Amino acid sequence: MPELRRDPIVGRWVIIAKERGKRPHDFVIPKDEVKGGFCPLCPGHEYTTPPEVLAYGRPEGAPPNSPGWTLRVVPNKFPALRIEGELWKEGEGIYDKMNGIGAHEVIIETPHHHETLSQMPLERLVQVFWAYRDRMVDLSRDTRFSYVIIFKNFGRAAGASLEHSHSQLIALPIVPYLVSQELKGSKLYYEYKERCIFCDIVRQELQTGTRLIAENHEFVAFSAFAPRQPFETWIVPKRHHSDFRTIDESQFQALAEIFSLVLKRLEAAIPRCPYNFVLHTAPFKEPYLEHYHWHFELLPKLTQIAGFEWGTGFFITPTAPEDAAHFLREINLVEEGGQDDGEKA
Amino acid sequence: MTEKKPKVLIVDDEESIHLVYREELEEEGYQVLSALDGPTALELVEKERPDVVVLDINMPGMDGLEVLRKIKEKYPTLPVILCSAYPEFKQDLSSWASDDYIVKSYDLGELKASLKRNLAKAGR
Repeated sequence: MPELRRDPIVGRWVIIAKERGKRPHDFVIPKDEVKGGFCPLCPGHEYTTPPEVLAYGRPEGAPPNSPGWTLRVVPNKFPALRIEGELWKEGEGIYDKMNGIGAHEVIIETPHHHETLSQMPLERLVQVFWAYRDRMVDLSRDTRFSYVIIFKNFGRAAGASLEHSHSQLIALPIVPYLVSQELKGSKLYYEYKERCIFCDIVRQELQTGTRLIAENHEFVAFSAFAPRQPFETWIVPKRHHSDFRTIDESQFQALAEIFSLVLKRLEAAIPRCPYNFVLHTAPFKEPYLEHYHWHFELLPKLTQIAGFEWGTGFFITPTAPEDAAHFLREINLVEEGGQDDGEKA
Repeated sequence: MTEKKPKVLIVDDEESIHLVYREELEEEGYQVLSALDGPTALELVEKERPDVVVLDINMPGMDGLEVLRKIKEKYPTLPVILCSAYPEFKQDLSSWASDDYIVKSYDLGELKASLKRNLAKAGR
């Protein structure tokens, strides 16, 4: 019997098609064609990108925009939104509009063309999260921006257009709709129960354990109760933090550990699994919220979004999140030949 | 002594584009070469050594981004200007290997400015 489930934060309904009961090996992912040829993100090709806004790892004294980096952030060469100019907002009758002010940057996560996030050594994955934070701090000084969304597309099916591992950042003059829905839903919960819904979710997922994938002293990773895609996974800080910019050094290490573990398990369960992940955090103008946690949402791209989903906002998932979590927990990375960071890393 | 005309290779699967570009660019003093598909373009790059390439993206068979990757792999300093009717290809980071991206138009003002800029940048 299928089951309807409601997301407790935004109220979105999903259908868990339990009778389909898809297991990891039911998802067959075709191998992305290796394109080869010139890669504008590889070391030595820095001249093809706009001047970098951040770089790590280059030896002291080495000039900017030269090889030797371990991570590099550059503005989009052909941006959809423009960083220059004043922000103006206007109404046209009942319709609102504003000019296309924003920043679009690409975080080149590794100098190695074929290295993926799941293969990356922990100290370099820590750098990726540092870069997210550093860019967010810098862009939040620009009073035209209300929000920075950070996301990654991995695999062609998930929208990645280049093999070289990268994530992206877009600074916006508005708070995105999905984030404002989360903010509204969590505020309503807080007003009613006087507790943060994310703190309650973390507590309940740790207590029941049925959707738990991994935890460490700072973070918990679990299958979302009402997922939009099979194996949708959330990584949430255990301590109450609404603003990603306040993350501290010990959390960076713990975040890299749990992220790496989740990605390795996903890759072991569904080889070449395409995915998107997104970082949700509090808006710049109200960073300290008692009702909100920053968190990562990781969505494997395993089903299609078609008419029913577009028309209703419902999603149909052929794998129950309890089963997804079970499959991912059961994977023994040591036996698979990978490094097991331990469930309680 | 006559000055050597800069050689521009136009790559586009629409023949009408070649007619328009050829007429306008020859008037501007360019020598114009034409290719209707990716493989012919790669052959002409080898054989004719153009000074600049103007490349469409949406072509059957080998698309412009693949042609771009192959050209830049061998000739990283050869300027390539992407010229497409579809601005959304800008979101494909493969397009970053190009030296410029122009949205196709029958007004060639932007293309002409880009040709001058990129030829000067490359010292050609």
